[in-house]
Amino acid sequence: MKVPERSAHVSFAARSAIYTVLVLFTVATLYPLFWLVLSSFKSNRDFQLNPLGWPETWHFQNYALAWRTGDFTRLFINSILYSGLATTLTILLALAAGFAFAKLRSRATPILYGSFVIGILLTIQSILVPLFLVANWVGLYNTFWAVLIVYVGVSMPIAVYLCTQYVQGIPDAVIESARIDGAGYWTIFWSIVAPMSRPVIVTLAILTVQGLWNEFILINILVSSRSLRSLPVGILSFSGAVGTDHGKQFAALVIGLVPMVVFYLLFRNQITRGVAAGATKG
Amino acid sequence: MKASPARREERRAYVLFVLPALLVYAAVMAVPTVFSVLLSVSDYKGGPLFGGEPINFVGLHHYSKMFQDRFFWISLKNNVYIILISVFGQIPLGFGLAYVLYRRLVRRPGFFQAVIYLPSVISTIVVAILWKSFFSPFGAFTKLMQYIKPGWVNTLPLHPQLAIVPVLFVMLWLYTGFYLIIFLANMQKLSPEVIDAAALDGANEGQILWHVVLPSLSGVVLTTAILAISGSLKSFDLIYAMTSGNPARRTSVLALYMYDSAFRGAPDYPLANAISTFMVLFSVVLILVLRWIESRVGGRET
Repeated sequence: MKVPERSAHVSFAARSAIYTVLVLFTVATLYPLFWLVLSSFKSNRDFQLNPLGWPETWHFQNYALAWRTGDFTRLFINSILYSGLATTLTILLALAAGFAFAKLRSRATPILYGSFVIGILLTIQSILVPLFLVANWVGLYNTFWAVLIVYVGVSMPIAVYLCTQYVQGIPDAVIESARIDGAGYWTIFWSIVAPMSRPVIVTLAILTVQGLWNEFILINILVSSRSLRSLPVGILSFSGAVGTDHGKQFAALVIGLVPMVVFYLLFRNQITRGVAAGATKG
Repeated sequence: MKASPARREERRAYVLFVLPALLVYAAVMAVPTVFSVLLSVSDYKGGPLFGGEPINFVGLHHYSKMFQDRFFWISLKNNVYIILISVFGQIPLGFGLAYVLYRRLVRRPGFFQAVIYLPSVISTIVVAILWKSFFSPFGAFTKLMQYIKPGWVNTLPLHPQLAIVPVLFVMLWLYTGFYLIIFLANMQKLSPEVIDAAALDGANEGQILWHVVLPSLSGVVLTTAILAISGSLKSFDLIYAMTSGNPARRTSVLALYMYDSAFRGAPDYPLANAISTFMVLFSVVLILVLRWIESRVGGRET
């Protein structure tokens, strides 16, 4: 790949200004995280006397205590189940609908597809009270299923949109020749459309996992028992409960932060590509 | 007239493929949205929908109640600040930085891109608690300020007018990377020849940015402005976990005001839904205004 020459058309002053802004941003990102990690190893006394420096002694037990009192094993299992299952279901349903919208003839498509696209503009705030009330009426309040169904539902508009757009790009001839060979639509979906849609599946998986893993407001109103909480809800209530026990609080934040940072470092290119695709096409 | 077997099979497949997605979407988003608008013009007070207390149509009663509530105006004002910081802070900054990285005006563009986007991947709740501690009287910010100004007392979290400033700072910090990524991805789609030609003609970086890159991305800028407006109106998690709207609800936003009306203290479901309906309408109006402005001044696009 050709790497462009660094431009010579930038004055020293402009270049210094650019570096200043970039370095400020870098410090503003890395310093608080660094401070957080250092503080998470301090005893409470140490933190109060010396909030900026290195820990006097490294209190690794902050992590063990935070993990146990916050019941992080449960939180992680729940978060993995919620975002994993909801993402899988979202992709399956959206790809099926996208295939029908893009490749099967029906006069209903403009209206149905249009209703999904409008959904991209709907706000979560509008559905909070209705979902809370309906979940109570039908006995789904405070259940795993309520969270799962709602997560799939709110992920649906952008997923259907991206899938339809993508499947439209698959040539009709591929599908027609399979039809002529006698393949049913189900076979075409599983053995032709799904494998060919790998790129959009990856994009969607990343967007949806990232969104649902960090989701807070819906699960906050849909469940109340400790055993159904996800990481964000658990971390917030833990941080309220330990109050001034800073070491443990910061350890809990680090525990909550590490998985997403690792996820980001592993899939950095896919994430940035997926985010750009999801945003500008939406 | 009867359809051919092949056509019938296609129709059946269509229904089977679309139905699951449609049912979940209708149950979770479409029907609740309509339901929300209906609730906002009713006097529903809780309890079962049928067979409980009768529910009456009360027109725009809850909307006028909302407009008379001073906390509505405080929340709206804070939302406007958030819109301003995203449209005039995050977007220009993201655009400028994307250009710098795109043109490789600095060393290690990949590193800076990764660092600036990093906050976006962290859970907003974690970000909020982190910065809340950072800005709190016992946090690093107070200590750092005391190096500069000995004896400085941190009253920022209690100040009715200034308590929103740290929130706005965190929003700038949190979302600039998102816009950077969008702009960078779209700049990479531009044809390099045009820029090389401009550079050969002796245009400096500022001129290339202003006369070549910006006009060809004006559509993307509009899209991001729309995203910024609708995103700013929805913002909830960060403020909920960072300030809970305090001191005395001075840092509340519409989403939090709506949440408080429905889920804190005695629930007022119709008021809460009047607020959320207002939020949708307000964002639609802002987006239409934006499109209108774009159609008037968007002549630079080719």
